[in-house]
Amino acid sequence: MVRVRELPELLAAAAVATIPEEALEVTLSSGYASDLLSNVMGQAKAEGVWVTMQGHQNVVAVAVLAGLGAVVVAGGTKPDGDAVRKAGQEGLPLFTTELSAFETVGRLYRAGVVGA
Amino acid sequence: MRSYVADLHVHTLLSPCAEVEMTPRNIIEQALEIGVDIVAITDHNAGDNIIAAERAAEGTGILVIPGMEVETREEVHFIALFESLAVYAEWQRFVDLHITELVNDEDAFGGQFVVDHEDNLVEVKEVMLLASLHCSLAEATAEVKRLGGVAIASHVDRPSYSVISQLGFVPADVTLAAVEVSRRCQDKGAQNRIREATGLPLVTASDAHTIGDFINGPKTVLHLEAASLSEVKLALSGSGGRHIGEFLYAPETTR
Repeated sequence: MVRVRELPELLAAAAVATIPEEALEVTLSSGYASDLLSNVMGQAKAEGVWVTMQGHQNVVAVAVLAGLGAVVVAGGTKPDGDAVRKAGQEGLPLFTTELSAFETVGRLYRAGVVGA
Repeated sequence: MRSYVADLHVHTLLSPCAEVEMTPRNIIEQALEIGVDIVAITDHNAGDNIIAAERAAEGTGILVIPGMEVETREEVHFIALFESLAVYAEWQRFVDLHITELVNDEDAFGGQFVVDHEDNLVEVKEVMLLASLHCSLAEATAEVKRLGGVAIASHVDRPSYSVISQLGFVPADVTLAAVEVSRRCQDKGAQNRIREATGLPLVTASDAHTIGDFINGPKTVLHLEAASLSEVKLALSGSGGRHIGEFLYAPETTR
């Protein structure tokens, strides 16, 4: 099992905005990977982690809507300014990593996070 | 006020995925034949065949709108339409600043041909047009608006390259005048749901890549005072008595 606070070390990831203490303690129940936001809205599970290469502000909106525990923007993609601002406002744990999406999912899976 | 049959989304043989029969001359000839009054030339990330289309349409009464099907960083497609070639040229400068350096593989994606109004080959375009520009949907649509153009989200009912598939919903910072549904979305209920979900006016267009698509593909009737982009704009917003009319489907597709 992986908690949100373990993501930076596990994925060599950085948070793009300040994360509320209670959000850091959430245990990630499952994982989902997709760049199609309409697909994620229908498939991702609450308190799951979502791996994507999209850095648009709608990523934050979809994550909040689905009640996700964390979002990892992989492959070195930089979320745009609006996405960073919105993540801060919503208290959503939004991370970036230089690791590829494949490597990111692989590390999560090995750490015990399985598909939604 | 009169009704105009408009097809606001037509590719020429400049788009790698379009057939070589899609020459500007052929498109205009067919438009005359089937009674299309307004044709927007919208190739992927390019507009080199617009001049030929305007020349081919001279004296026919058909309005050619200079346009482009733009692909943004989010892999969203939208139609950008401009008042004149001069304004289009300004838009082209924006595109040149944001286009990828990749070279097209003709065998894999198809050729990208620039022709004149008599179908003579002028140039084979090398830069890969089927790739996303290095700019966001919000930035690109803001630039279209700055130039007085019109931005319409392409085929929002489709599972790929649509603002809905890519971004889940239309973001607040995106400046769209309308959304387009493809020929696959002819159900009135589905169209109404899209209209409500996006809060935007709805049009349809052929998105033609072949002459068959152009002849049989859907068209939108627009009620305008005259054929011009500013009138189209009024119709999309439903102002000044201008408005969007019915969607036309060829017998083959509505049967």
